[in-house]
Amino acid sequence: MDRGMVIFVGALLTFSSSWLGLILFPYWQLNNEQPFQKDPTETPYPLPLQGLALAGKTVYQQNGCMYCHSQQVRSERFGNWWDEHGQMRTGADIKRGWGLRRTVSRDYIYDNPTMLGTMRTGPDLANVGVRYSEQWQHTHTFNPRAINQWSIMPSFAFLYTKERIVGERSAKALKLGREWTVNPGYRWRPTDREWEAILQQHGDSIRSRYRAEHGSDLDSPDSNQRLLEFWLTTEEEGYQIVPTAEAEALIAYLMALKKAEFPLPEAKE
Amino acid sequence: MAEPAATPRLTDRDRSAAERAAIDASCRGPVLYFTTSAVVWLLIGSLLALVASIKLHSPYFLTGSPELTFGRVRMAHLQAVAMGWSSMATVAACLWLMCRLSRAELVYPKLLYLSGTLWNVGVLVAVLGILLGDAQSVEWLDAPRYAPPFFVAGLGIVAAWVMAVFRRRQEPHVYVTQWYILAAVFWFPWLYLTTVFMIFWSPATGVVQPIVNWWFGHNVLGLWFTPVAVGTAYYLIPKIIGRPIHSYYLSIMGFWALALFYSWAGMHHLIGGPIPAWLATASTVGSMMMFIPVIAVAINHHMTMRGHFRRLKYSPALRFTVFGAIAYTWVSFQGSIEALKDFNEVVHFTHYTVAHAHLGVYGFVAMIFFGLYYYMIPRLTGREWVSPLLIRVHFWCAAVGITLYFVSLSIGGWWQGRMLNNPNIPFGRIIDYLLPYLYARSIAGVLLTVGHLAFATLFVMNLFGWGRLRSGPTYFVEPEETTPTPTTERAERELIPVR
Repeated sequence: MDRGMVIFVGALLTFSSSWLGLILFPYWQLNNEQPFQKDPTETPYPLPLQGLALAGKTVYQQNGCMYCHSQQVRSERFGNWWDEHGQMRTGADIKRGWGLRRTVSRDYIYDNPTMLGTMRTGPDLANVGVRYSEQWQHTHTFNPRAINQWSIMPSFAFLYTKERIVGERSAKALKLGREWTVNPGYRWRPTDREWEAILQQHGDSIRSRYRAEHGSDLDSPDSNQRLLEFWLTTEEEGYQIVPTAEAEALIAYLMALKKAEFPLPEAKE
Repeated sequence: MAEPAATPRLTDRDRSAAERAAIDASCRGPVLYFTTSAVVWLLIGSLLALVASIKLHSPYFLTGSPELTFGRVRMAHLQAVAMGWSSMATVAACLWLMCRLSRAELVYPKLLYLSGTLWNVGVLVAVLGILLGDAQSVEWLDAPRYAPPFFVAGLGIVAAWVMAVFRRRQEPHVYVTQWYILAAVFWFPWLYLTTVFMIFWSPATGVVQPIVNWWFGHNVLGLWFTPVAVGTAYYLIPKIIGRPIHSYYLSIMGFWALALFYSWAGMHHLIGGPIPAWLATASTVGSMMMFIPVIAVAINHHMTMRGHFRRLKYSPALRFTVFGAIAYTWVSFQGSIEALKDFNEVVHFTHYTVAHAHLGVYGFVAMIFFGLYYYMIPRLTGREWVSPLLIRVHFWCAAVGITLYFVSLSIGGWWQGRMLNNPNIPFGRIIDYLLPYLYARSIAGVLLTVGHLAFATLFVMNLFGWGRLRSGPTYFVEPEETTPTPTTERAERELIPVR
């Protein structure tokens, strides 16, 4: 092999073969797929993202959400485990409620980029739009540990603004205890000295609020602790956390993710 | 009687030493420019990696700003180490090895400074752009849209220059390393352009994008880093131990089998996904066939090394290279197994894949390039490495670090996959289970970073002329015996790289 031309032509041919087989053929097969419509009166599926949800896709992209969350549901025959009787079973993705069926290429014809994802540090999001409410999503995005103690997802508090309430509390404001809102993105607790000071200043009103909600069992030895826990779950006075435009867009995008819900003929097992 | 025979041999040696010195002098500037940039990106990439790794087990670490959120740091890390460190080291290897093996001097080096600068600007805008919020979320191609033109231009110049050196070759025999380099500088620009075109410039529909994406993601390793790193090992091992490559035919087989089969793998990243079944099957076949080139190369390197393993005790370049070569065999076998559907169903969405990827790009590619640096840089600067102790720190941090990384994430990832496949196990339990393994990964990351700091210190000291003038290599310990340098005739007959 002392001739450059042999190497060049060989490299060209081998590489072209894979380009032809892995790129060009799938391109011909899949690039012109159309939405599904049973009869002309029905709305076709899927529909392209629009408005706020489309803007939210960019936020999802910018922050690399797909590096922990896939958007694809594997078939009922995929992924095996053994149940309590030692019986082998399959199809965890669907049983976890991540979709009613496996996802197929038609689910993605309006995705750009198509963020299938290759990692499940967090759960799959193909149908996350039907799994949670908008309010849940906002709370969870702001600080995931406000909902799941064990979560290792980053706080996206930078997508929210903390502001002084002027007039009435906004309808969009997050409903969270002060432990999550005093230092946005983190979980806050007062030091013992701070807590003493707070008790001295507002002790009576905190106690009366506690009694109003829990009855008057504030005489036991751990009452101070319980009072603190209670106070931490109450909303911070005078301040609110509201989503920025980016957060609103991101949640609109998540709420629009409803893949693997609409039945498609080719997705039957 | 011995006198007349010895004299011409000595002159021959002097002449070829002078020729080598002239070749090294011609490519010194550009190669040092690329190697220095690569080291800078390695340090930046390590730092980003460490931040990302810590964030995965301690989510409150640096959580306040959008620039340092996990997703962005992870993407920036990949660009810094793949496009910065690995690619620029690959380019340096291509240039220097091609000049040496072709016995040709580099012409118009100034344009290569332009290429290196374009490349650096490309990586810089990629890393900064991602951190500031312009990321694409296309795996391996997260660089913002304004970065690819820089890479394309920089890469174009490099490819043209490597071809030009090859065409000006004085040495009629084309050594195996040159095949790999020629193929790589031809494959990668094509691969990159096709991909950028089909994903960004004229986006394909739906799942065609991930198909193109993984064709790229797998081939950037298979057709760019791997050929050049394997080629580098083919050069360094025989050079250092002064012994020819075991079998010419095995190297031919290894090369063509890699060319044919590696490019067909890649779709196994989408097994179980919404793509045509035949596509994943084709790639599974390609992956299984990869056993052929990998075994060919493994036998060839092992048989070349046989009887010379004691040299690992003193030669840093050889020790790094052999570590890399062994990791190549291991990671390739593992990759083929991972492409099997039954295995893939478990590990597909887990840290197991992350461990595998790092064994490839670090345990194999980076380790061989470290070996190349230890061999090549003294020949370019005329200075020896200043401290065997720092080389030792680098080696052991890298070797222990990547092993800890690989072992911890492989075990954690496997069980993560098993638990994900069982819908009765709540998600929180999987996260709790993974935490110790994620901490172990951060410890591995600290080790790797310390190693890189030792390496960078050595490198900078060498550049600034702190080592002793070159007479013989800096060894871990002084060897007991010396081997004669192969003569040109013996080399030609037995296929030792001559230059």
